[in-house]
This record gives sequence, C-alpha cells and structure tokens, in this order.
Amino acid sequence: MSNMIKGVFGAVLGALYGGLGTLQIAAALTGPAVPFVPASLFWGCVLLVIGAVLLTGVRNLARGLDDGVVFFNVGILLSVSFGVISLLAAGAGALEAAIAGEAWSVADTLAPAVYLAAIGAAGFLAWCRAFFRGLATA
Amino acid sequence: MTGIRIALAGNPNVGKTTLFNALTGSRQHVGNWPGVTVEKKTGRVNRNGHAIEVIDLPGTYSLTAYSADEVVARDYILEEKPDVVVQVVDATNLERNLYLTTQLAELGVPIVIALNMADAAEATGCTIDRERLSALLAIPVVRTVGIRGEGLDDLLDAAIREAETSPYHEHTVGYGNDVEAMIASLVGVLAADKDLAERYPLRWLAARLLEGDENALAKVRESPVSSRVQDLLSAIDPDEYEATMADRRYDVIAAILPQVRTAGARGMNASEMVDRVVTDRYLGIPIFLALMWGTFELTFAVAAPFAALIEAGLAWLSAAVAGSIEPAWLASLVGDGLIGGVGSVLVFVPNIFILFLILSFLEDTGYLARAAFIMDRLMYAIGLPGKAFIPMLIGFGCNVPGIMAARTIEGEKDRLITILVNPFISCSARLPVYILFAGAFFGAAAGGVVFLLYVLGIAAAIGSAKLFRHTILPGESSPFIMEMPPYRLPTVWTSLLHMWSRGAMYVRKAGTIVFAGALVVWCLASFPFGVEYGSSASLAGALGHLLAPLVAPLGFDWKIAVALLFGFVAKEVVVGSLGVLYGTGEEGDALSMALLADPGLSAVTALALMVFVLLYTPCLATIATIRKETGSWRWTGFSVAYGLVLAWLLALIVGQIAPFFLGGA
Amino acid sequence: MGAVCPLALLSAGTEATIADVRAGREMRLRLVGMGLCPDARVRVQCADRGSLIVSVGDARYALSRGIAMKVLVKEAA
Repeated sequence: MSNMIKGVFGAVLGALYGGLGTLQIAAALTGPAVPFVPASLFWGCVLLVIGAVLLTGVRNLARGLDDGVVFFNVGILLSVSFGVISLLAAGAGALEAAIAGEAWSVADTLAPAVYLAAIGAAGFLAWCRAFFRGLATA
Repeated sequence: MTGIRIALAGNPNVGKTTLFNALTGSRQHVGNWPGVTVEKKTGRVNRNGHAIEVIDLPGTYSLTAYSADEVVARDYILEEKPDVVVQVVDATNLERNLYLTTQLAELGVPIVIALNMADAAEATGCTIDRERLSALLAIPVVRTVGIRGEGLDDLLDAAIREAETSPYHEHTVGYGNDVEAMIASLVGVLAADKDLAERYPLRWLAARLLEGDENALAKVRESPVSSRVQDLLSAIDPDEYEATMADRRYDVIAAILPQVRTAGARGMNASEMVDRVVTDRYLGIPIFLALMWGTFELTFAVAAPFAALIEAGLAWLSAAVAGSIEPAWLASLVGDGLIGGVGSVLVFVPNIFILFLILSFLEDTGYLARAAFIMDRLMYAIGLPGKAFIPMLIGFGCNVPGIMAARTIEGEKDRLITILVNPFISCSARLPVYILFAGAFFGAAAGGVVFLLYVLGIAAAIGSAKLFRHTILPGESSPFIMEMPPYRLPTVWTSLLHMWSRGAMYVRKAGTIVFAGALVVWCLASFPFGVEYGSSASLAGALGHLLAPLVAPLGFDWKIAVALLFGFVAKEVVVGSLGVLYGTGEEGDALSMALLADPGLSAVTALALMVFVLLYTPCLATIATIRKETGSWRWTGFSVAYGLVLAWLLALIVGQIAPFFLGGA
Repeated sequence: MGAVCPLALLSAGTEATIADVRAGREMRLRLVGMGLCPDARVRVQCADRGSLIVSVGDARYALSRGIAMKVLVKEAA
C-alpha cells in the first residue's frame, strides 16, 4: 500500500522535475523566462536527471520489481541534495554581494531546484530515513 | 622493555588508517580508495610506561611478490622485525581478511588481530565469538571500532603483552602431506646456511620457493645452498603448489568461520541496492555528470565570497606596503613582486580547498569507486585505465595532487600516460586568464567560451592519451578490478583531513615555488636598475622582445610573450604580469580596458591566447611533481616540449579558423 | 549445474562457482588474495554488457569485461 503512495508521489514529483527542467533548458536556449524558473541549461539538465531517476522508480514499482523502491529512494536523495547545493550556492552569493556591497534579493534563490527539493524533503522524512540509516555507519 | 615497535597490517578499506590516526593522533590521508597508502607512515603513542612506535604498512590483500605494496609490507616485517604485527581485520569481511592472517602467521612474528568495524558487523546482527577465533588461530583478537576510538587501550595492551612474552614462532596452515614433505626437504637444505636461517623463517622461505616467488628466489640465489635448492625446485610445478596452498588456506578459513560467526541478516543490503541505481546502464552516467556539475557549481559559488575577502585583504596589504616601506625598490619588491605574485595564487585557495573537500567527501562515501567503474568503459575506449579518471577529476582543481593521485594505478604505462595528459585538464590557475580575456572580448558569451576551453582541455587530454597509446606507449590498459566498499557517511573530521592533505600541496606550491618565481619575475622586471617596472627597457622586456618572433605567427606581441614566460612559474601569474606590463595593475576593469584598447589584440588573438595558456607547458610546480612521480627527466622534458608544441599548433589553428566564426576582429 | 562459461556472460542475480582463472600469474595471485579463486562462490549483483559488480563472501568487487571474461564459472542450479 505504501508502495502505491510512493508511486504516486514519485510520479508527480518526477513529472514536475521533468517539466520544470525542460522549461529551464528552453528558457536558456531561446526565449522568455517564466517567473520562478530561471533560465539555466545545466540546472535544467540536472532536474531532468532527477526526474528520470524518480520516474524509473515509479515504473519499476509498477512492474513489481524490487529495485523500484531504491530508484525512488535515490531519486529523493538526489532531490534533497541538489536542493541543498542550490541553497548553499545562493547563500554564498548573498555573502559575496554583502562583501562587495552589491544588491541581492531573496528572489534570486527561488529556483525549481530549491522548491522541488522541499517536496522531496517531505518524502525523505516520510519514507527514506530508515533506508539510508542502514547505510550510514560512519 | 620500554621501546616497542608495532607494525599495522591489513587489507585495504578496513579502517587501518583511521585506527592509526586514533592511536597516534597524527594526520593521515583517509579514503575508501584502495592502494592510497603506498608510503609507510610512522607515529608514536605511550602506554603504561612503554614508548611505542607504530608503523602503518600499505594495505594489501595478500603477501605475494607481485606488487610494490606487498613487497614493502612483507620486507618490513622480515627485515626490520617489528616486535608485534597488529592486523586490522574488517569484521564484516572475515573470510577475505583471514587469508592475509594465514600469510602473516607464516612470517613468524607475534600477531594481534584488531577486529575492527565491529559496530558495522553487530548492526547486521552478526556475532563473532572472539575467544573461539582467538583459540583457533592461536592469535589474540581484540574488538575495536576505529572511528569511535573503542578498544584501543585493550589493543595496545594485547600488543605489548605479545611483544614481551610471545616467542618468535611460526604457526601456520598445514598444507597436506605432499606439500609438507617438500617443505620439510627444503627446510632441511636451507638450514645448512646459517645466515639464511637467522634472517628468515625457514618454513616461510621454503613455502615461497615452492610457489616460485621471485623475491624469495632472489634471497636464496647468493646462498651456498642455492644449487641444491635449485635441484629440489626443478622437479616441481610452482603453479600447482601455489594453487594447492591457496586452496588449503581457504579450506582452513572455511572450517574456522562457522565455528566463530553467526551470520547476520543476509539478502541485498542498502549499499548493494543503491549500486543498482548508481551503476544503471542508462542512468549511471547522467547521475554522475549531474553530481560532477553540482560539485563544480558549488565550488565556484561558495569560494567566491572567500576569494573576494582575500582579494580585498591583499589590496589593503598592497596599499599599506606601498605607503610605508622605504626605500622604494623594497616597497616594489614586496608589493609588486611578492604580494602580487603570491597573492594571485592565494586567491585561489578557497576554490581549491572547497573542490577538494567535496571530492574527498564523495571519495570517502565510496561513491567515487562506483564512478570509476562507470567511467571505466569510456576510459578504456580512450586508452586509459578506469582508475585514471580520479586523477583527472582532481586535476580540475590543481594538477599537482591530480598527478600524485595517479599512484593508485597499477600498470606502469597506464600510470605514465595518466600523468602525461593530466596537465591538459584545465586547472583553477588558468581561470583568471580566461575570465580576463573572455570577459573583455566576448562579453555575454564569456561563460560559453570558458566552457569550451574546458572541453578543449579534456579533448586534448583524451586525444593525447590515444596518441601515446598508439605510438610511444603501446599496449592494452590494465583490466579494471576494484573493491566496492559499503557506502558510509564520512565524519566531517575525516573529510576535512582528506581535503587538507591535498589542498596543502597547493598552499605549499604558493609558499615555495611561486614565492621564488615571483622574486625572479620581479628581478627581471626591475633591472637594469632604475628602469620603469616591467617596461620594455627592463630585462623582462628584453626577453619579451627576444621571444616575440616565436609567438608573432600567433598574433602575440612582446608583452604577451613576457606574460607567458612568467606564467611558466604559475599560470595565475599571467594576469598579474599583464597588469604590470600594461601599467594598470589588476584591479577593476582597468586591465580589461587596456587590453581592449590595444590594437594588437582582438577577439581572435584573445581566443588563441587562451588556447595557448590552456595547453602550454605545465607550471613549475606541476613539472616538479611530474619529475618526482615518474622519476625521469626524460618524460618530464617530453611533457614540457609536447605541451609547448601542441599549444603553439592549436593556437595557430584556432587563430586561423576563428575569424570565420567570429566574423573578423 | 551448468557448463563452464566466462563470468562476463552472467546476468544480475545469478550465483556461480569459480572453476578456473585464466590470467597471468600476477593477476591470478591478486585475484586469489581478494577471494576470487577456484571453488569460491560468487553472486552477480549488477551486470552491464560484460562489466560486473560481484560479491564474493562478504566483499564486493567491480570487474571490467576484460577480467570477467577470464574468470570461468559454473552456474549454480
């Protein structure tokens, strides 16, 4: 049953990553930027990759393969990780702007990588902690 | 007995180095990467009035004569005769670890086993009966958890006890009647040579001779009993003996294990499952590329504020110096020469350290081992071994630690090719040149241009590798086999230490070579005495004019020639030199303006220049490293010459082709 | 019990026993030290066009196709 919920969650999140990733690439290559979707070729590709991992997980879950859950877990991990990367980079940008006395606004940080990661984080807290705890024996 | 020597031995990836650090408190490089500790490390610790010296031997799976690591470990124990050997054993991997134990036992030295990573084994529900194991092996077994520092005192106590009370003996695996008979005969022959009998445990020596061990044969060659030994050996097939003995060792281990261990939960564990995703044939490479891009993005972003601080600090320092030091020439030496030269390298310290921190983190989690595996097929197609890709990755930060990382590569030719092509990977030092010129001449497209330069660097490395493979260093790449350790979350401290050992090389480069080089540069720019700093009349200028004809076909003038010459010391210095030569300093846009205003420079020449800087000779620190790692002036010289020629040719080609794409200057 | 075949040809999830290692001495000894010797049981965890990740005992190794072709195994039933 929980697999069903994960499946739906993964499908939705995966689709969001795919869609927004494509938008970011499109914005970078040609045209107009959508608000809250900054144009960036590379971030767009990264989002596509995360989406692909999540969707593969969903597909495998649907087929009843036992590695479906793992793809889902890794996809969520990637989602959260890149959200953290994006936030750190934004924070550093703020710091640099402060040092150089330049303007900076919080709106600069709002990229899909961040807000989609918030959704991913919810998923992580709900389902993934046990799985990854099995790994980390530092 | 107050002074005791302990040798630490064990398989790679068992936490031996962590244990060593915990025992001795010294700084070491810790990685999930096998083969990293090639050099011996020593440390000290005191326990109960004993002054103990601990030697960290290279991690090895066995003790054959075939790899330098194994020979180093083996010879140390045989020749230096430490008081006791502590073998660090991975409790989650007993079977393979005990293989080494059987081989160590034959060396005759007292042994203590540190059953490390006990927490990980226990976490899977596995229990190990230490007393039983100890009784069966006739070796004390102590439970340790290196990363938490558990069991260290007990370990030291056991080691001291063994060192003081245990006689030098050989307990070992019984190899079956036939083999044992041969061993007995050989031992009988060898015993006649008193010298040999004193230096080496004869049973061990006999067993190695039967296996056809080169190193053992060499030891016996000079002996008076050599011919009798040869007689005995000529009748046998070493391969057969070696196979039989290996079988027997595993038989013994297989007999011991069930008596001492109750297995934990089996079935696919989390590490294995994650590997299914990470090495997936379609998603594996995209995931890797995404993580790599994330790494570089994060590095540049987070380093920026720190770099800005350092630049501001340097500017302040420079101004303070200019105002307060007399006489003027000294102020110039300190300000323009030292602060300018060394400063241009220091600005990159944040960049380097953060990149290495992230890479160390990835390495310590075990992910990089998977990445090497994923990239292996691609690397093989290029003619490089899969393990070569880590040195190349590190090269993006600084070529010096990148080249040193090539030590983990086994094949000599593979290693050499990896070292020779590493300088083409665009290190951080070249970035200021790109930023300056791309920024000045390409405006909004600057980012794209820099990216293309990085790609060109990678392409040059790949192309050169293929070229070398087909011409001067032919042969197949050694096959890829690497242990995949379980994923772990490294402690902050571990990653920081790991980062430091690599980053420190960069700082040392700034502190020594660049410092010296900056002095030389300053001298050339300031003499003959009284000349305007860095002008056409100075020695530097004279050199520039001398070299100008060589670079004229590329569209460079004497000022560029001088800057390139100085860049030989460290590529960061190119920008600083240009600042001096154009009289603008590096601050703000003054230099960019000056460059744009120069009629001799255009977008095309800027592009050619950037290509040249990308490819021409490695910087002085890198050259020193190549010399040290290859041990050969010949290859070092080749590297310099090849780089120059390639840079010159490609810059020329780019200069000719570019106008078509850029539509004229 | 199947016939002898190179390890490279097995797919993920298969178990097998090593029958022979057709490599030079140096490589062979190295593999033996790591646990890959005749009669050892291996399990293939990931496989992709010949490159594999296998588990032997408690250890896991990644092998390129080159090496995997040289290790001959008998598939477990």
